[in-house]
Amino acid sequence: MENPTIFYYALLWIIGWGAVGGIVSPRIYARKDLDVSQAGLVGTAVGAAGGPISLLPFWYFTPTLNWRWIVVPSVIVLGVFIAAFAKADPTNFCVARSDYLTTQVANGLVMGSIYGLMALGLTLIFSILGVVSFAHGEFYMIGGMAVYYIGTVWFPGLNPLFSIIGAAIITFLIGLIFEVVFLRAMNTGQVERPGEYAILVTFGLAFFLQYLVLALVGANPKKVPRFVQYPDITFPSGAEAPLLTMNVRTFSFFNSITISSTRITAALVSLILLGILMWFLYKTWTGKALRAVSQDRQAAAVTGINPNRMNTLAFALGGALAGVSGASLVQVFSWVPWVGVLASARSFVIIVLGGMGSLPGAFIGGLIVGLVETIGAGCIPDPQRATAYIPAYGMVILVIVLLLKPTGLFGREL
Amino acid sequence: MSKRNWLVWGFTLSGIVLLVGFPFLTPNNYIMHVSIIAFFFAILASSWSLLAGYAGQFSFGHMAFMAIGAYSTGLYSKFIRLGTAPTGICTPEIKIGDHWLFFINAYGDNCLDIAKKTMPVGTLIYRLPPWHGIILAAIMGGVFGVLVGGLVLRLRRTYLALFTIGFSEIVRVAINAEIAITDGPNGLQLQPLFPNGMFGFSAVDKIPPYYAMMLLFVVSMLFMYWLTNSRFGLFIRSIREDEEAAAALGVHIVRYKVLVFTITSIIAAVAGAVYAHYVQVITPNILLIAQMSLVIAMAVIGGLESLLAAAIGAIAIEFMLELLRELHIGPLVVDMTTWRLVFFGLLLMLTLRFWNNGLLYPIIQRLTRRGVAEETVAKRLAGQEGDV
Amino acid sequence: MIELAVNNVAKDFGGLRALNQVSFKINGPELVGLIGPNGAGKTTLTNILDGVLKPTTGTVYLNGHRIDILPPYQVALAGLGRTFQVTRAFRRMTVLENLLVPAMALHATAHRKDMEEKAWGVLEFLTFEHLANDLGRSLSGGQQKLLELGRLLMLDPDIIILDEPFAGVHPKLMETIYEYITTVNAQGKAFIIISHDMDTIFTLSKRLLVLHFGTLIADGDPDVVRHDPAVIEAYLGEEDDDALTTTISQPGVHHPPPEGGPENDRH
Ligand SMILES: Nc1ncnc2c1ncn2[C@@H]1O[C@H](COP(=O)(O)OP(=O)(O)OP(=O)(O)O)[C@@H](O)[C@H]1O
Ligand SMILES: [Mg+2]
Repeated sequence: MENPTIFYYALLWIIGWGAVGGIVSPRIYARKDLDVSQAGLVGTAVGAAGGPISLLPFWYFTPTLNWRWIVVPSVIVLGVFIAAFAKADPTNFCVARSDYLTTQVANGLVMGSIYGLMALGLTLIFSILGVVSFAHGEFYMIGGMAVYYIGTVWFPGLNPLFSIIGAAIITFLIGLIFEVVFLRAMNTGQVERPGEYAILVTFGLAFFLQYLVLALVGANPKKVPRFVQYPDITFPSGAEAPLLTMNVRTFSFFNSITISSTRITAALVSLILLGILMWFLYKTWTGKALRAVSQDRQAAAVTGINPNRMNTLAFALGGALAGVSGASLVQVFSWVPWVGVLASARSFVIIVLGGMGSLPGAFIGGLIVGLVETIGAGCIPDPQRATAYIPAYGMVILVIVLLLKPTGLFGREL
Repeated sequence: MSKRNWLVWGFTLSGIVLLVGFPFLTPNNYIMHVSIIAFFFAILASSWSLLAGYAGQFSFGHMAFMAIGAYSTGLYSKFIRLGTAPTGICTPEIKIGDHWLFFINAYGDNCLDIAKKTMPVGTLIYRLPPWHGIILAAIMGGVFGVLVGGLVLRLRRTYLALFTIGFSEIVRVAINAEIAITDGPNGLQLQPLFPNGMFGFSAVDKIPPYYAMMLLFVVSMLFMYWLTNSRFGLFIRSIREDEEAAAALGVHIVRYKVLVFTITSIIAAVAGAVYAHYVQVITPNILLIAQMSLVIAMAVIGGLESLLAAAIGAIAIEFMLELLRELHIGPLVVDMTTWRLVFFGLLLMLTLRFWNNGLLYPIIQRLTRRGVAEETVAKRLAGQEGDV
Repeated sequence: MIELAVNNVAKDFGGLRALNQVSFKINGPELVGLIGPNGAGKTTLTNILDGVLKPTTGTVYLNGHRIDILPPYQVALAGLGRTFQVTRAFRRMTVLENLLVPAMALHATAHRKDMEEKAWGVLEFLTFEHLANDLGRSLSGGQQKLLELGRLLMLDPDIIILDEPFAGVHPKLMETIYEYITTVNAQGKAFIIISHDMDTIFTLSKRLLVLHFGTLIADGDPDVVRHDPAVIEAYLGEEDDDALTTTISQPGVHHPPPEGGPENDRH
C-alpha cells in the first residue's frame, strides 16, 4: 500500500464510532423510553457511517427506526471503506483496473452460488430439525470423494452426471442413517438436553467421517478431470471485442471478465439443482409438507404429516445438497479429507448471515460470502497474506453478525 | 471425619502418590512422554468440563485459549531479551537496574544481530526464564477469557458454539498468516521448560517436565474441585439449568458466566504454555478443530459433568491412543494411526447417544456419591428420631 | 416495613400494549390476588416487577428503592421473589442444592454448613426431608412447585409473587400450598398471587387486583370486586371461563360498586 495510514485511520474511525454508537444509542433510547430493540444495531451503523457528525443528531432526534436506518448507513460505510482503500492504494489492481475488479466480482458470484447451495442444505436442516449440523462440511467432502472414486477410479470414463448422482445418493444415505440412529432420539426424550446433544453428536459425526475417509483413502490430494470439455467458440465470431470467448479452460465475457470453465460448470450444476430443489419444495406434496413442518410442527402433525419422517428427509436432503456442492467443486479444487472443515465454517457463516432457517437468506448469504472471499483474496495487497486469511474473512462476518444482529438478514426473531 | 470424607481423601492421596511415584516404576522416556501429554489433555478436558458440563457453556474455543497461552510464552521468548549493555537500535529498550530489556523487531533485519557487532566484548545476552512467559500466558488467557466471555453473554447454545468456532478459526488463521511474528505453519521454536536442567536432570530429560505438568494437573484439579464445591459451583450449575430462574433467585449471571470463561481459559492457557515449552515447537495446527474434537471426546467419554471423570477419560484415552497406534495380530502389524481416531469418533457418538453420563462417571459416582446421599439422609432422619 | 409502589407502568410489545398505566401500592404483609382473563398481562406484570422486562414507561419502587432499572438478580436480592408459571426447578441439582442457590446468593459470605442447616429447616417445613438428595428432575410436578416455594423461603424476600401456584395440582397439594401461603404471610411477608382458580383466590386473598387487556380495572376487597360491573363484564365477555361465572353469580349480599376507579389505591 502507498498510504496505508489513510486506510487504517478510516478503519479505526469506522470501528471506533461504530462501537460508540452501538453502546451509547440503546442507552439514549432507553432513557427516552423508546423501543431499544434495534437501537444498538442502527446506532452502530450510524456511528460507523458518519461518526459524531451523524451520531449527535441521531441521539438528539431519536427517530423511529425501520430497515432504512440500517441499509442507508451501511451503504455509506461501505462507500467510505472503498474510498479509503482506493485512496490508500491507488495502484492496486482492484482500484486501477476495472476489468480485474469485475472479474473478481463475477468469480465471487459464481463461487457464491455454489456456497449458497451448500448452505441451503444446512438451513433446510435447521428449519426442520432446529439443529445446526456441524458435520455439514464432511458431507461436502464425501460428495467430492464419491465423484472421484465413481468417475475416476471405479468406472473411468463414466459420464460425470452419474458420478454426481452417485455422490448425491451416498450422502443422502449417510444423512438418513445418522438421523434415524442418532437424531431421532431427540424427539422421543431418550436424550437429555437435546440442544447440546445435537451440537455434540453432529460434531462427533464430523470427527468420525473425517478420519474414516482419511483412513479409507489416505491424505494424498485427489484430482478430478473437468466434467465438461467446452469447445472453442467466439461470439460473435471474428469480432474484435467479442461478447463471449470460450475454450476448454476459460470463459471470457466482454473480453474482460475471465472465469475458469470448471467453475462455470460447477455453478451451472448448482443452479440446476437449485431449480430442482425449488420445484420440489414448492410443487410436490412432500416438499410442501416439509415447508409446513418448518413453519409449524404441531399443526403439520395434525394434518397427517409424519414429522419424524420429515426430519429424516430434511437431514438426508440437506446432506445430499452439501454432497452435490462437493461433487461439483471437486473438479475445481484438489480434494483431501479435511476440505470439509473450511466448507462447514463457510456454511455456518452463510446461514447466520442470511438468518437461520431462511432459504432465500442462505442463497443471498452465499453470494455475499463468495464476494467477500474473492474480493478479499484478490484485493488485499500482500498476496501471500491475502490467501492465508481467506478462511478468516467469513469468520469475521460471523462474529460481527452474531454480535450485532444474531437473527441475520432474514431471520425470524429468536 | 465421615466415612465419605475418608474415602475421598484416601482416593485422592493414593492417586497423588501413584502420580508422584510413577516415574520410579517405569523410568521410560516414551511412557513419560505419553504421561505428560496425557496430563496436558486431562487439564484441557477437565477445564472444558467445568465450562461445558458444569456451566453449560458449550464453547469450541477452548483450544484457542490454549494456543493463546502457548504463543504468548513462545513470542515472549522469541522477542524479548535481557542484556548487560544497550543495543542502541532496538526499540523499545528499557533499563532495569544494570541490565537492559530489548524488544526484537518482527519485521526487517534483527536489531540484536546488528547490534551484537558493535556491542562491547563480554556483553551477555539472556533469554528470560520460561516461567515469565507462563505467567504472561495466564494473563493473556485471562484477558481473552474476559473478552470472549463478555461478548458471548447473550448467545446461547448453537450460537455460542458457532461464535467460538469462529473465534478459534480467526486465531488459527492469524497465527498461520502472520509469519513474520509467529513463524506461521513452520512452527515457533521455544526454549525447554528447564533450560538449565533441574535436580541433576538435563534440559532434555523427561522427568522434570513430568513433575511440572503433573503438578499443574493436580493443582488445577484441586482448584477446580474446590471451586465446584463452593458457591461458584452451585451458581454455575444453576445457570446451566435455567438462567432466568437463577437470576430470579439472586444469582449474578453475568459475573459468573464471565468468571467461568476467564478461569477455564486461564487454565487452558497455562497448560498450553507449559506444553509449548515441553515440546519446544508449536504450530497453528494445535488449534485445529480436530484437536478440539479430541478434547471433547475425552470429556464426553469420561463424563462431562464430573471433573474427575473428564480428567481420567482424557488420561485413559491418551494412553489407549498410544497403545492402539499399532495392532499386533500374530505376526501381522496393522498400522492403526488413523483408525484409532475413527474408533474414538464412533465411541464419542455412541456415548452421547446411549450413555448420557459418559462411561466413567457412573463408576465414579457409584464409588462415592451414591453412598453419601443415602448416608446423609439416613443420618438426618435418624437424628430426628433421636430428638423426639 | 414492606412497601411496593407501582407507578403508571406500561409495556408495549411491538404494537401490542400488554400493560396500560398500571398503578397500585402494597403496604405491609398484604395478601393480594391478581386475576384477569388469559393474556390480560399478569405474567408480563410479574416480569416487570422482577426485572426480567423493563417497563416501556413507569416506575416501580420497593421499600423506597427504585427497582425497575435493576437487573433481575438485584431485584431478587432487594427483596422480591417470584415463581414461574411453568415450574423451573434446577433439574439436575439435588433438592438441597436447589435450596442452597438463593441462600448462598443472598448471603455473600455465609458458610455452606450454616445455609444447609437453614435448608433442612425449610425441608422440614415442606415435609421434604426424605427427598433432600434427589435430583430436581425426579420430583413430580407438584413437588417441583413446592420446591420453588422452598427456594423462595431461602431467598427470604419481602414480597413473593406466585404465578399460578394452583394450576394443575392435586387437591391435597393445593391444601399444602394454601397453608404455606397463609403461614408465610402470617410471618410477615407480602404475597401477590396470580390464579385462575377463582374459589381459592377469593377465599385466600384479602385484596384483589383485576387486570383486563393490560388495564387494572378493579382493586379492592374481594367481595366488592366480585360485584364490580366492569369485572363481571370482563369475565362474562370470555366464553370459556365457567369457574368465573359461577363464582361471580353466587347469590349473596349485593355490595355497592367500589367507590373509586382502578386508579384508586386502597390504603
Ligand atoms: N415477550 C413477548 N413478546 C410479545 N408479546 C408478548 C410477550 N409476552 C407477552 N406478550 C403478550 O402480552 C399479552 C399479555 O401476556 P401475559 O403472559 O402477561 O398474560 P397473562 O395474563 O399472564 O395470561 P395467562 O393467564 O394466559 O398466563 C399477551 O397478549 C401476550 O401475547
Ligand atoms: Mg401468565
